[in-house]
Amino acid sequence: MKYIQRLLLITLLPLGVIAPAAESARATIVQAILAPDAAQTRTLITSLTGNPDEVIPPLLEAWRTDQLFIYRHGETPVPVQLTGEKDADGARAALRVDSGEPLLDAAGQPLRLASSGLKAVDHTTSLRRAMKGVLDVFDIVSPDPNRRSKAIQSFGLAQDTTKLAILLERLPRETDPRVHRALREAVALIQLKDAKDEVKLAALAELKALHTLSSTDFLQRALKEAEEKKNEPVATAAKSAMYAVESHRSTVDFLGTLFRGFSLGSILLVAALGLAITFGLMRVINMAHGEMIAVGAYTTYLVQNIFGAGVTIPFFGFSLPIPGMGLTGSAYQWYFIAALPLSFLAAAIVGIGLERSVIQWLYRRPLESLLATWGVSLILQQVFRLMFGANNVQVSSPVYLSGNWTVNDVLLGWNRVFVIGFAILIVFGMWLVLSKTSLGLLIRASMQNRQMAACMGVRTERVNMLTFGLGSGLAGLAGAFLSQIGNVGPSLGQSYIIDSFMVVVVGGVGSIAGTIISAFGIGGIDQVLQQYLPYWAPGLAWVPGIGGFLQNLAQDAAVFGKILVLGGIILFLQWKPAGLFVTRSRSLDE
Amino acid sequence: MFKSSRYLIAAGALLASAYAQAADTVKVGVLHSLSGTMAISETSLRDVLLFTFDEINAKGGVLGKKIEPVVVDGASNWPLFAEKATQLLEQDKVAVTFGCWTSVSRKSVLPVFEKNNGLLFYPVQYEGEEESQNVAYTAEAVNQQATPAVDYYLAEGKKKFYLLGSDYVYPQTTNLVLLEYLLSKGVPLDNIGGGFRRDGSGKIISAGKYTPFGHTDYQQIVAEIKQFAASGDACVISTLNGDTNVPFFKEYAASGLTAETCPVVSFSISEDEFRGLPADQLVGQLGCWTYFQSIDSPANKKFVADFQAWLKKTTVPGVVKEGRVTCSPMVLSYVGVYLWKAAVEKAGSFDVDKVRAAFKSGISFDGPGGRVTSQPNMHVTKNVFIGETKADGQFKIVKSFDNVYGEPWLKGKFK
Repeated sequence: MKYIQRLLLITLLPLGVIAPAAESARATIVQAILAPDAAQTRTLITSLTGNPDEVIPPLLEAWRTDQLFIYRHGETPVPVQLTGEKDADGARAALRVDSGEPLLDAAGQPLRLASSGLKAVDHTTSLRRAMKGVLDVFDIVSPDPNRRSKAIQSFGLAQDTTKLAILLERLPRETDPRVHRALREAVALIQLKDAKDEVKLAALAELKALHTLSSTDFLQRALKEAEEKKNEPVATAAKSAMYAVESHRSTVDFLGTLFRGFSLGSILLVAALGLAITFGLMRVINMAHGEMIAVGAYTTYLVQNIFGAGVTIPFFGFSLPIPGMGLTGSAYQWYFIAALPLSFLAAAIVGIGLERSVIQWLYRRPLESLLATWGVSLILQQVFRLMFGANNVQVSSPVYLSGNWTVNDVLLGWNRVFVIGFAILIVFGMWLVLSKTSLGLLIRASMQNRQMAACMGVRTERVNMLTFGLGSGLAGLAGAFLSQIGNVGPSLGQSYIIDSFMVVVVGGVGSIAGTIISAFGIGGIDQVLQQYLPYWAPGLAWVPGIGGFLQNLAQDAAVFGKILVLGGIILFLQWKPAGLFVTRSRSLDE
Repeated sequence: MFKSSRYLIAAGALLASAYAQAADTVKVGVLHSLSGTMAISETSLRDVLLFTFDEINAKGGVLGKKIEPVVVDGASNWPLFAEKATQLLEQDKVAVTFGCWTSVSRKSVLPVFEKNNGLLFYPVQYEGEEESQNVAYTAEAVNQQATPAVDYYLAEGKKKFYLLGSDYVYPQTTNLVLLEYLLSKGVPLDNIGGGFRRDGSGKIISAGKYTPFGHTDYQQIVAEIKQFAASGDACVISTLNGDTNVPFFKEYAASGLTAETCPVVSFSISEDEFRGLPADQLVGQLGCWTYFQSIDSPANKKFVADFQAWLKKTTVPGVVKEGRVTCSPMVLSYVGVYLWKAAVEKAGSFDVDKVRAAFKSGISFDGPGGRVTSQPNMHVTKNVFIGETKADGQFKIVKSFDNVYGEPWLKGKFK
């Protein structure tokens, strides 16, 4: 591949696209590193554009990822690159940037250096952008299709006419369909700047066929220009291309909204499932459910720190140091997988403790359980504050949960995809537990008619305890997830408790199927409203008297959407007071 | 009879000694939220004020009098702020008050200070459109934070600007000013994202996207930004506050948007807020303040070191000692105390009218962020810095503007 790359760059030289290297690339990079001010560094790096020297990409990559350091020993500072594995002292092999040879000490032995003792060569966004410009030229022939398409796209978006020749030359040889598409788009975007009408028209036809979102602004500009010049055919072509892009956009928006609705629904579902058990099956209004979620989230935080460098918790005035395992790299990334069962367990244990100490005295007394658990919720929040501080704590996302999967311009964030899959998994797991295990049978028996079950020899007290533990454990799992999406702080639970109750009540108390449907329903409607309210806003003007007010309110889609959802729920409960699915029970007291 | 008169004399002597003691000190109010939602940010300002008083007292105080702080808790409750301000002015008769964080708390205490002719030093970036004779605004005005950031983006070649903020007075007003500023710089209305709200006559009354405090679902907004930025040259101007930054930046990172493709400049995230944010997901995003802890100057190094040393030995209850940083509101509180001290010394009196006159005459102080000078409009001229965030929660300064004059009235000035 390297050979092909070089060959290609050499064949491009006569096109005048790539300037021949006047000075060695290594020397330029060293100069850039040691340059006194940022502007000079940037100019030097930019001057590398088109230089075919193969040492440039790995060096710039090392710079961007903080692998370059300045070694000071004697008069002149020497830029070095640290490579290879760290040894016991954290030191790595050092290569001189100016020659690529190992850095030698006085005795002629290769030196090993630790990054902590050295000054890292720093970089800013504008410098990284300059580097990207240099690397893009290399990336056009990169074996990685992702890098290829990104580089090509940036040429297209810059409408860089000097790159047209390279792109056209690549076009027939590109095999990857996605990169090929990016190439066609880039070529068309650049050709849009052409003075000749027929080229312009061809470019517009191409853009219409591709209908990419990124071409919107360029099409708009072309249309405006054509209209100013009274160029009918170009204006018509631009209009029809824009129409194609717009209809593509509305498809993307629709699918995106669907996905976002599902993901919000899944979050509501995992947050509400535990409540569906404790409130739905056991008739305990557990206001501390949100804090069970927080227990799960804090457990994730602790596990993360135990996998990493450890953490010190100011535990009620004492300092409680928890040592870390000091893992790095991919081993560290497993922390989240380990945190899942642990957060379930932690929340389940806290839940069982709560059941034994408070709730067991309050079965069938919903109002008292509401008050008591609210008190518990306040106590738990204060405990979190004492243990972890009033500030949010940081939970980082593991690599496999960050980033996204883009299908036809619809953005599917990995964390969201994961939460949807996971919600399905827990629902399935819960169905298994409730319907296929003996514990499930006992749970159902005691919840339907406790006295009868007790008469049949079921130890209902124990079943109650385990059921409550199960519900709390599910909340803990929800907390582990929410730590990937939002804040982990003492009041984390407060933001989900209302939503959870809403989902359970709308779904029909005690019905798991209802909980699922209502979670996805509420999530979907919320996202649809957030997406389309601003578009619908102008249409609200007809409402007599308060039209203008509604219009302005609808602009704040996030707030107004929520108001509408709540209003809708109230109306819905007027119509079906018992929720979507009414559970039939044989107990006499209902 | 004899006994009671002896008591009387004793009581009189006690009173006299108390009075004599009072004569050696000057009472100074500290009005911040030490509990409630704002406590996370405002306790840091209380800490730095107490540190400053100790520093001044150790050098002999102001006009030979030791500063005696009267610390009250506004408890993130705006009516309570007004009550506490009344207590400070009418009961404790403080010479000056340092305090308030949110604009709404400042607006609540303003009538109290105007009625009693008190003096308040206000240290946190604010939206402008206010100029009271009873408030010394050491805070960043919009032209000392927001417009320099926009200038920086324009110089970087950005053409599209997405406005996003929390729904309250500071973001709303700032974004309206920025809208006007962007239009004056030739940015067309189509290139400003986030949506507009108009009144009956079609005049824009609000620009940008707003979310409530504590909002967690940024999926839709980030998807919108992604489309907005699809054709390059776009950036986000964020006035989101506190907590909501976490879900926003998590979603932003997950969508594949980065500082290289579409940078975000935030006006409400300083080093202190970073303590609760996933810093590695914000690397390269911009901040704009009149001070950063990373400023490489002897004055700043000394300030940071002195503050850390004070934290170690202080016995004030409730002061967190671990992992502390310094940030712009803290430094502007510190600078405010010294400006007041200089004004008092120039006036030769603690009288508010005389101190104000001295303040307006233009007093300079070389603080950790460089020289600050008070202005006739009760604001302060200072240096402005634009920084890129680093993974350790500090800022790398990429640009600075020297001696920017604080200008509270910006609306209608850009046409």
